[in-house]
Amino acid sequence: MKNNIKIERARHDMTQADLADKIGVSRQSINAIEKGKYIPSALLAIKIAQLFKLSVEELFFPEPGE
Amino acid sequence: MKTEYLLSNKFKIPGWILLILGLVLGVYESYAEFESDIFVTKVLAVFSSGLGFLGSSSEENNTFFRIIENSIIDEIAALAIIFGGLLVGFSREKVEDEFIYKLRKDSLVWAIIFNYVILALTVVFVYEFSFFNVLVYNMFTPLLFFIIRFNFLKARA
Repeated sequence: MKNNIKIERARHDMTQADLADKIGVSRQSINAIEKGKYIPSALLAIKIAQLFKLSVEELFFPEPGE
Repeated sequence: MKTEYLLSNKFKIPGWILLILGLVLGVYESYAEFESDIFVTKVLAVFSSGLGFLGSSSEENNTFFRIIENSIIDEIAALAIIFGGLLVGFSREKVEDEFIYKLRKDSLVWAIIFNYVILALTVVFVYEFSFFNVLVYNMFTPLLFFIIRFNFLKARA
């Protein structure tokens, strides 16, 4: 699954640590999610999307074949 | 995310202290061939084979619930490694979330598989008294492999 978190972070001028603080997760989690190494739970995905005022589908999208 | 089975983060540092202390004592003991005479005291042996671990004990030497004299330094080292290791491995991170919990679970699976692959190899390739050493270290390696793997994955993430 791919995501636009890095782009949205840049748009809001936030570091990984800033985003992690606001959501209440570790910086490692944000890094792993951004790199596509970890697929967040539905709850965490919704929290991140809400922070950027986007829908989950606008932030996360499955790759072809997934 | 609320996760079960984990202790508070404040146990992490006491855990590291206990673990390192235990490992230092353990290394000292293994150099002393587990026969140092520090802290010799009377202990209750629920089962004792009389002639020592690998002595040619016959069944009549076996006793139950006997008070014997023993250096308890190796017992202290073992307990320090076990409890220190448990505290380090199973207390919460400062920020404990679902990803960290996944790392912890993955590390546990990895550590158990890695430990038993190594043990299987030593079963095949290590014989006689040397295998006793393997068994001694194998009491602690699952926990130690887990802690090393978990911290490695966390640092890399």
